[in-house]
Amino acid sequence: MAADSETLRQQIRESIKTQKRPTVTVLSSLLAVQDSLGYLPDEAIEEVAAHSKATINEVWGVASFYTNFRFTPPAKHVVEVCWGPTCHLVGATGIIQGLLDEFKLSGEGDTPDGRVTLRYNTCLGACAQGPVMMVDHHLAGRVTPETARAKVKSLGDTNGHR
Amino acid sequence: MTTQLPPPPPSPPTQVNITIDGVKVVAKPGTMVLQAAMDAGIYIPYLCYYPGTKPFGACRMCVVKVEQPGPDGQLRPLPGSPASCTTPVAEGMVVKTNLPDIVDLRKGIMDLLLSEHPHGCLTCHRIELCGPADVCLRHVSVNDRCVTCPKNERCELKDTVRWLDIPMETPLTYNNRHLPLKVKDPFWDMDMNLCIVCGRCVRVCDEIRGDTALTFLNRAGKSLIGTSRGTSLLESGCEFCGACIDACPTGALVERDYKWDKANRTVVTTCPHCPVGCQMTLEVNKRNKVIRSIPLRQAEANRGQACFKGKFGLDFVNHKDRLKKPLVRVNNQLREASWDEALDYLAERLPKHKGKYALIASPRGINEEAYLAQKFARVVMATNNVDLSSNLRPELTAPLSEMLGHQAATNPIWELEQSKGFLVVSSNMTEEQNVVVLPIKKAARAGAALIVIDQRETELTRYASLWLRPRPGSETALVGGMLRVIVDESLADAQFVGDRTSGADALRAAVSAFDLAKVEAATGIPQAKFQDAARRFAKAKPAAILYALDTLPAAMRGDCVRALVSLALATGNVGKPSAGLYPLFTGANEQGGRDVGCLPDYLPGYRRVEDPAARAEVAKAWSAEVPSAKGVSLRDMATAIGDGRVSALHIIGDSANFSNGQLPGFMESLAKLDLLIVQDSFLTEVNRAAHVVLPTFTFAEKNGTYTNMERRVQLLRPAIGPKGEEEASWRVIYRIARRMEAEGFDHEDTVNIFEELKDLVPGYGGLSYARLQKGGVQWPCPSPDSSGTPVLHAAADRKFAFAPVKLEEPPAHSDAEYPLVLARGRVLLDPDGEMEVVDAGRRNAVRRDEVIEMHPDDARRMGVSAGDWLEVIGRGERFKGVARLTGPQRGMVAATALFGQLATQLDASRTADPMMDVPGLPLTAVRVEKASAPAVSADLAAAD
Repeated sequence: MAADSETLRQQIRESIKTQKRPTVTVLSSLLAVQDSLGYLPDEAIEEVAAHSKATINEVWGVASFYTNFRFTPPAKHVVEVCWGPTCHLVGATGIIQGLLDEFKLSGEGDTPDGRVTLRYNTCLGACAQGPVMMVDHHLAGRVTPETARAKVKSLGDTNGHR
Repeated sequence: MTTQLPPPPPSPPTQVNITIDGVKVVAKPGTMVLQAAMDAGIYIPYLCYYPGTKPFGACRMCVVKVEQPGPDGQLRPLPGSPASCTTPVAEGMVVKTNLPDIVDLRKGIMDLLLSEHPHGCLTCHRIELCGPADVCLRHVSVNDRCVTCPKNERCELKDTVRWLDIPMETPLTYNNRHLPLKVKDPFWDMDMNLCIVCGRCVRVCDEIRGDTALTFLNRAGKSLIGTSRGTSLLESGCEFCGACIDACPTGALVERDYKWDKANRTVVTTCPHCPVGCQMTLEVNKRNKVIRSIPLRQAEANRGQACFKGKFGLDFVNHKDRLKKPLVRVNNQLREASWDEALDYLAERLPKHKGKYALIASPRGINEEAYLAQKFARVVMATNNVDLSSNLRPELTAPLSEMLGHQAATNPIWELEQSKGFLVVSSNMTEEQNVVVLPIKKAARAGAALIVIDQRETELTRYASLWLRPRPGSETALVGGMLRVIVDESLADAQFVGDRTSGADALRAAVSAFDLAKVEAATGIPQAKFQDAARRFAKAKPAAILYALDTLPAAMRGDCVRALVSLALATGNVGKPSAGLYPLFTGANEQGGRDVGCLPDYLPGYRRVEDPAARAEVAKAWSAEVPSAKGVSLRDMATAIGDGRVSALHIIGDSANFSNGQLPGFMESLAKLDLLIVQDSFLTEVNRAAHVVLPTFTFAEKNGTYTNMERRVQLLRPAIGPKGEEEASWRVIYRIARRMEAEGFDHEDTVNIFEELKDLVPGYGGLSYARLQKGGVQWPCPSPDSSGTPVLHAAADRKFAFAPVKLEEPPAHSDAEYPLVLARGRVLLDPDGEMEVVDAGRRNAVRRDEVIEMHPDDARRMGVSAGDWLEVIGRGERFKGVARLTGPQRGMVAATALFGQLATQLDASRTADPMMDVPGLPLTAVRVEKASAPAVSADLAAAD
């Protein structure tokens, strides 16, 4: 346990140190860690605090403010569905329902097997293509509940989004 | 459209005229409208504003309408409804606080706040009818009842709602958050269902305390107060000062003890735990118990702050084991007796011990009591054997009197906020003089140079710009080395040295011994490092020096203080605001006790015992003879008892120093006494050996004065009455003296004693109880028209001499069995260490592997590598830990504990006054052995 944690800390320290920004802040350090690990473990809060001479509470205040940070290891794939106004008008509700049924979820979140994270997005910036969804950062337009389900069915066990 | 820029103001105005609700108000520039209104006695409701913190503007309760003159002189409204707590005053501004639309806006905002705050206490139709014995049945749902809020009827939110006169028929639905309460951390309960997220606690903890043990969680509607990942305060960096509780306007944060009790009166008095002299408002309930203490915001000594001791450590006054009747030893057993019996017993025996009597007064005793005690010893018992039980380090002040001519800190505590540099030598202020740390942390966070010389890791080392860990006992060499660098590099304040001291040549002579290479060898600190320290300190002006010299051997402290005084003089840091020297002793009224002559070598007013003229003055005032031989000091007491120079000992008040081993042989020596008299509030280890035990008041019953470490004389006012036959300590001495038919003891109350002592203590001449009622005054205050002296030696009326100091090698540590020195530290936060907070039954506990810092050379010699398990074994202590090869010195190991571990111990302690037992951090002799990893963490086992 202690050894694993030490390896993790090494990785975290490495990603904090190798940032190529002119000004390193708590926020930039948190982003750097999330970029490399995909999430912020407890150790990340402590290491960023130690590095930026802040307390763990200050760092947590920043981390918990942004909904983009996650604190548990990410699933292998990320599926995002747009529910912005345009997509909503052209049928995003059906897409969402279809995917929730497929993943047996009741809302945003990780599937119990840790394979897929489902997230709602307020705009994926492709309104003309609506309804839109994104699978592992690849955009798909004019989807129907059926094509959406088909897309996620074919997701393999390999890590897709990094 | 053209934008017209306002013309640049000719010069910054010193005052600003504004109008608030038609009242003309004069305010200082930069003041916020809310503060200006409050200063003028106009109330604007507010919830998030808190004095001493930066303007925040979160609650929007203090919204007002503001008009301000434009460049053409015409009044123009500021857009919207600005919050008065974030709007600075401007010349000609017109503020309206009570326009109908503003009142409506406030009510709307309050409606929103109440939609998430239980408010049965405001809406229940039985508010006017309900009595204490009534049972609340179906009127209000269980979670929202007034009786489920610990702040019921002392809640700022409720008071504000009532002032706003809101009709409580809100159209909004009320949402209870249904969050679990946090009740497993020491001293402190948190109920986030009652929080209105005003952020006062977060800002006080950050801006005033510098701890940031709390933070805002999440954002927008879900935002609340908490700690990182919802962890316990034990690992979040909390110092358990209770400042967040004092700031909380609702019942969200409260003291756990007496949580549901209501006060029926309050009294402002002085805290008895340390020499800061915090002014505290004690809340007393109808059963004569002190239930809460709240630091006073207006007090100059503590400015609304306190610490874990003052906030959570005053319950001892209510303890059931308080002594209520005198005890006299009959047939070798302590038996309850009447006062008359006890006094007769003493009056019969005491005269036989004239000249062989000694008195140890309590640092918690008031000035009047200390004065009367030393007078009793000197006049009635014909001896100078008087001392204070906290006076373990007289060398902290003796060199000050030699070199500067006084025996106290030169400057006030809060001036440190403006200091640009600090040198802190071997002091654990966070635990021993807590509030002094606050201005230092604030200044350090604003960029002041903070140089810490200490083997131990303490809270302050986290804020230090430079932390030097010299070999134990080489502090003097290090300070001397710094001074030498300052002289060699011409960094000294030449003008000050020329005008106010014996001169540059004398300074050069004083540091001649400190050859830099020799300093490096003696201290084990590389030259470059202490040169850096010297340069930083010399360039920071003004700079202050604070020293407790906890870890120095007694024989070396005097020289270390001399070196520090020379350093202050050389850098011109004497007689100026925010500079100076602060000796850090530990007793609450140690300063006052010394001032009034409770010392073996000084009479009242620091008159030397050996000086015949000084003796004559005192003898004349007392119309009695004053003994001429120096008395036995606290540290020599055991020896003096052993060789028969002292046969009767009179101890006033208990002290941890008797039983904690700081006075070797003391406890054993008590058995050799013919007579041991103890005046105390509890039966302690010392009292058990006593022949007579006389029950006395605690600070909460006393009427008198304390003098704090910055020479501020402050009042103690009685908060509670006696529980049995106990008496004020001064009155006990008075009664013994009367029973012995002594002359000069006819004081009716403490006022009489104060009037007598102020004639003998020159600095107190202008003080009186009536004057102190308005707040403390710093001596010297020689006459009633003097306003006291915050900064000593401001007037250039004399020249100070530098004292040459020898460069001594630190004493060799030769202990075959325990060859290493252990420097134990304690910190609030340990972010890069592995630790876990576990639920240990009723309370949280810290599970943490101790880290043992070791010098790489020692480790190599022992075959230890980083990460190995070690066991540290000393006299009466042993613990295991993981080796880390970062030790700063050969022959030394260091281990740092977490303050949270101490906090859990104090909270769980069953002793009457746990804060007396806060373990110091002395250096101890140990040996280190390789060990196997422990199966269960020791801390956890202890907590169960």
